[in-house]
Amino acid sequence: MKVLVGTDVQPIDEVAASIRQYGPRYTRRLYTAHELECCGEDPVTAASGLAARFAAKEAVLKILDGPEPAPWTSIEVHRGENDRPELVLSTIAADQARRQGIRHLSVSLSHGGGVATATVVAQVSRRRMVAR
Amino acid sequence: MSDVKTTVREVLETHGRMPVSPSTLGDDDDLYDNGLSSHASVNVMLALEDAFDVEFPDALLRKGTFQTISAISEALASMGVVDPPS
Repeated sequence: MKVLVGTDVQPIDEVAASIRQYGPRYTRRLYTAHELECCGEDPVTAASGLAARFAAKEAVLKILDGPEPAPWTSIEVHRGENDRPELVLSTIAADQARRQGIRHLSVSLSHGGGVATATVVAQVSRRRMVAR
Repeated sequence: MSDVKTTVREVLETHGRMPVSPSTLGDDDDLYDNGLSSHASVNVMLALEDAFDVEFPDALLRKGTFQTISAISEALASMGVVDPPS
C-alpha cells in the first residue's frame, strides 16, 4: 500500500473578505450545501470553517493526478461520525481517485493565528484501476 | 474601449493579490507560478463576471481556467466575450 500526502493553508481573512464582497455568488461556487450548512450562516464564524474546507480541497487536488484539476465542489468535507471530518469525492474528482487506485482518504483540519490548514492522506493500491 | 486581455489584466491587478504586476506578464505565462493563489483566482472569476456581465458555467469552475491570461480569455470567448472588430 502506497501513501500520498497533500497539505494546504488558507488565510481566513481572505475567505471572510470574499464572503462579505460576493456572498452566495462566492460560497456556492466553492462549497457544497452540506459544507455551508456545517459552517453556519454567520459570515464571521463561517469563514474559519470554510477556509479549512478550501484548504482540504486544495490538499486533495495536490494528490489527484489528472489532465484537468477537478472542480472544487466535487471534493466535499463531510461531517461524519463524532463530528470527525471525512472526504467525499464526486464526478471528476471521484473518477481521478479511482483511476489512481486511491482506496481511502483521511483529512485533518485546523485553524488558528489567522490561517486554516488541512492535511490529507491517501492510501493507494499498488494496482491502479483501469479506466473504463 | 479596452480589449478583453487588457481588462483581464486590470482585474488580475485589482483582485489577484499577485506579487508581480500582471501587466508585466505574457499571455501564456503561468499565473499560479507567478503568485496567483487558487483562492484569489475565485475572486478574479467573480470580478470578471462583474466586468463582463457574464456567469462562468460550472464546467469552467476549476483551476485550469485561470492558468494563463490566454486561458481566461478563451473561457470568456466561450461565453461570447470577444474583442470588438477593429
